Amino acid sequence: MQHPEVELKSGVTTPKVVPHVAAVASDSGTAGTTGDLVLQNLEVFYGSFRAVNNVSLQIEPRSVTALIGPSGCGKSTLLRSINRMHETIPNASVRGTVTLDGVDLYGAHVDPVRVRRVIGMVFQKPNPFPTMSIFGNVASGLRLAGISTKSEIAGIVEDSLKKAALWSEVKDKLDEPGTSLSGGQQQRLCIARAIAVRPEVILMDEPCSALDPIATLKIEELIRDLRTEYTIVIVTHNMQQASRVSDSTAFFSMGEDRGGYLVESGRTPQIFTAPTQQLTEDYVAGRFG
Amino acid sequence: MSFVRLTASDLTKAPSGRDARRRRSDQLMRSVMFATAAAAVIPLIGLITFIAIHGVPFLSSQFILNSPLDKEPGISNAIIGSLQLTIASIIVAAPVGIAGGVYLNEFASPRVSSAGELLIDVMLGTPSILAGLFAFLVVVPALGFSGYAAIVALSVLMIPVVMRTTQEVIRLVPAGVREASLALGIPVWKTTLFVTCRTAASGLLTGIVLAISRGLGETAPLLLTAKGTNDTEILNFGSTMNAMPIVIYRYAYAADKLHIGQAWATALVLLVIALVLNVAVRFRTINSRVA
Repeated sequence: MQHPEVELKSGVTTPKVVPHVAAVASDSGTAGTTGDLVLQNLEVFYGSFRAVNNVSLQIEPRSVTALIGPSGCGKSTLLRSINRMHETIPNASVRGTVTLDGVDLYGAHVDPVRVRRVIGMVFQKPNPFPTMSIFGNVASGLRLAGISTKSEIAGIVEDSLKKAALWSEVKDKLDEPGTSLSGGQQQRLCIARAIAVRPEVILMDEPCSALDPIATLKIEELIRDLRTEYTIVIVTHNMQQASRVSDSTAFFSMGEDRGGYLVESGRTPQIFTAPTQQLTEDYVAGRFG
Repeated sequence: MSFVRLTASDLTKAPSGRDARRRRSDQLMRSVMFATAAAAVIPLIGLITFIAIHGVPFLSSQFILNSPLDKEPGISNAIIGSLQLTIASIIVAAPVGIAGGVYLNEFASPRVSSAGELLIDVMLGTPSILAGLFAFLVVVPALGFSGYAAIVALSVLMIPVVMRTTQEVIRLVPAGVREASLALGIPVWKTTLFVTCRTAASGLLTGIVLAISRGLGETAPLLLTAKGTNDTEILNFGSTMNAMPIVIYRYAYAADKLHIGQAWATALVLLVIALVLNVAVRFRTINSRVA
């Protein structure tokens, strides 16, 4: 399902007023939310080093947005600032706003732990919990966040594994360790684990870079399926992948101060065939990066 | 020395010159290294054999099951005492040591962390009699020679062992595992307890067993605290208690052959208990090793 009427806007210079509604933040997941993610004048720091410069980006809900650009341009850092994982690093900080359905995720009364339940994440290297079974991995978020009863958990685990296109492969060995699966299966397990807590947004940080081509295709297929239910933001080094899976693409580059900035964003076909910036054209043509 | 180019036909001839010397020195180094490895193992095997030879003749079911006050005296009160003191001490030391090690690794600032590590090193290197002296000067005046004093002394010795092992195994938990948990919206304390520590569980267990082994064999601190007794004390930590190392120490000084023999036999019992414990845990950790 696509929302062609909602276009990505690059370089939003006059940020629209976003109401800060803390009460809504503590009660996310209610009906009527759409997974509408907006970054405004976002600056991300490691100590005094500014890794991301003034990024404003409106992310189309229920679709796949790819963040592309050369190494070190702050794509992953930007991604991690969306679900407030960035601040788990000592001395890291964020300036600017990230809003989800109008709620400022960096608002005064917003608990980062709850933000991460609304915005799930899949990492570069598959990272199932090594001491937990396949079932336990998918159930972990529910169990440890203490939000479900036992009977509920079994249903959600099955549902999540089905959505992650892994159920048929693991349904007879749910008690085996998650680490017994192949790399591609482990990554789908991690996606199932992220889905199980029913987030609105899923962030993916180069989810296929540690996988072989066949496993990569399966994950890409999965990403295409998942966008009907979730807003997906994916960081990728692989431009073919960006063009295959994403509806919109944002291209980042590194400035002279080594901080990353947004060059341009738009519908994926437009970015790849008719970019407005010379830098984007050079990058997607493989002339640098 | 010039380089000798070899051809295929040379390979069937016996090596000469430099190649022959290389072979000889290779052989020599292998022998030397085997000898040094043997030098480390032989005294250990010798010790075990020696203890077994001297101890076995005095070993009997009465010796293990009877108390020193029985007609056929045994060391049951020392075995019971050692187990009680060790278990009670590890109950104190394990939570403190694990929590301390986790804190230093996961939460402390780099400065606190390195200061803590230095402290652990110092404590690990502290002669055990100092721990005994500490309990002797602090606890004994208040509670008298007692199990409590012994528990204080033994815990002081066990905590750094648990703490160091905890630190080492927690460090081995991949950062990705913690990140995955935090990104699921699992609070930090639950991530630490149910994900990080759970991943390192078999390593934490190893630390606990190392500490137990250390506690089982300590003698000096017990002489200054539990003191030793012929009575059998069960969960009566307020009284003096007996322990196997105390028996070995006291009996080995005796003038008669029976007591000296019984010291050997006690040493053998202690050795077997420590061995069984370590082997059991070794098997457990091998079976549940983190991939």
